[in-house]
Amino acid sequence: MAAMHTLPAGDRLHLLHSVLCAVNIGAVVLDGDRRIVLWNAWMIKHSGLNNDKVIGADFFATCPGLRGGRVDAAIQQALYNNFPSVLSQSLNKSPFALHANALAVARNERIQQAVEVTPIAVEGAPRHCLIQITDVSIAVAREKLLREQTMVLRSQTFSDGLTGIANRRHFDVAMEKEHRRAKRGGTPLSLLMIDIDHFKAYNDHYGHQKGDQCLIQVAAALAGMLKRPCDLMARYGGEEFAMILPETDVEQATLMAETIRARAHELAIPHERSGTDLRQVTVSIGIATQKVETPVDLEALIGAADRALYQAKRAGRNRIAALLP
Amino acid sequence: MFNLTELENDALIEIFNIGVGQAAASMSAIVHEAVHMSVPSISFIPRAEAARLLGARDAAEPERICGISQHYQGAFETEAILMFPEDKSLEIVRLMVGESVPLKELTEMEQEAMCEIGNIILNSCVGTLANIFQHELEGSLPQYHLGTSDEILTATGSGADTVVLMLHIDFLLEKHQIHGYVAFVLDITALHDLKDQINLYIARAMGQA
Repeated sequence: MAAMHTLPAGDRLHLLHSVLCAVNIGAVVLDGDRRIVLWNAWMIKHSGLNNDKVIGADFFATCPGLRGGRVDAAIQQALYNNFPSVLSQSLNKSPFALHANALAVARNERIQQAVEVTPIAVEGAPRHCLIQITDVSIAVAREKLLREQTMVLRSQTFSDGLTGIANRRHFDVAMEKEHRRAKRGGTPLSLLMIDIDHFKAYNDHYGHQKGDQCLIQVAAALAGMLKRPCDLMARYGGEEFAMILPETDVEQATLMAETIRARAHELAIPHERSGTDLRQVTVSIGIATQKVETPVDLEALIGAADRALYQAKRAGRNRIAALLP
Repeated sequence: MFNLTELENDALIEIFNIGVGQAAASMSAIVHEAVHMSVPSISFIPRAEAARLLGARDAAEPERICGISQHYQGAFETEAILMFPEDKSLEIVRLMVGESVPLKELTEMEQEAMCEIGNIILNSCVGTLANIFQHELEGSLPQYHLGTSDEILTATGSGADTVVLMLHIDFLLEKHQIHGYVAFVLDITALHDLKDQINLYIARAMGQA
């Protein structure tokens, strides 16, 4: 290719114009009165506006949606203060009405944009400015995927490896959130502590593999009984489970606990060493409810559920007991 | 060491507070929430000391800093760098963008958002200076840096003998208060140009009074 300086001035200008039109980014040049003096092929393709419509036209008549916004401010910075500006996609969601293709137009999906506005000195005329628009749709999609996968990973660290239900960490976070929500919203909050009866004897008799299977089966059956999205069942430790029941008063919680006890019984998992004639796996449940009129701190609520569970155990197991915190 | 009189110092703080006030207004408009910014103090320090000031919480490992730099020239020449500790830059961007799934480092798009934030703050600060000095400056596009403060100062081309005009910036968004710095790297000529401009401004202000 011939060096630029060997070209006659007219040809040189023509070449520069062709280059600007060929580049794979949007390029728009405005004069000092914010009239459009250049609108390249990329802009024509993605805006659907031809040169005969835009050249010489007022920029804000062509793009009325941009008046008064960040693009307007950036143009002023360039024309009047001589400073360049960047507008990121994250902080400015697709300011220009640009679309990848006809389908995107139909779906009203704009190209994701990164915008730069730079001042351009022009000999013998007031300063112009160049608006460059880059398509960052691919990068935006990549980061969306990255965040989604991070969410999946993070939710895995919140679930119990054996039973697949929420783990202790998840319980702690959820309990704190629900406790705060109950106090603020003036609603009751119930907590159930559920323990498999004579589980150590079960493990000793049947072995740890069977013990694990028992935990998985009980956890799945009980967790399946929760119908509301705000309810949460978590593995609290060993063979102990906890159930958070927001907006649930003592009566409702007692009803729920009794249904859970009966459900565990229904599973009819054999337990030769259950210490009773029943010879099957059962659960004991402790209930604690924070009443609207007497909110308590988190530890008191958990402590009450623990003591209620102890009471149910002492009273003979396979039963429920409730205590006020 | 280079020093300003109390009057010059106060005038400069006032100018920069006008600047960051405008920047805060622009940022509020983006996030539709109140953003407050102020410059409580400024200081002139040698470059080596600036690196130390922004450096280590514990000396063993220098803190990682996120920096946005722009070069300005005209009535005086300077490299302006907005700097936050890396964790604070994560906080600012995520508060501004409203992202609910934070990742360990700033993503490409978040870096670009940080560039925009830096661009708004630096242009406002320098723009206010330029207006008050009644001189036009020209500026480059912002660049993103991540590293120790010493690395960032070196990357932006500031020599060992330069002086840094350090602005302490308080940034308040949604009850989160974040401290950062804007560094203007100046050589001796630029430093004296700046002092002259401040005195012209003060003289004009006094004359009008």
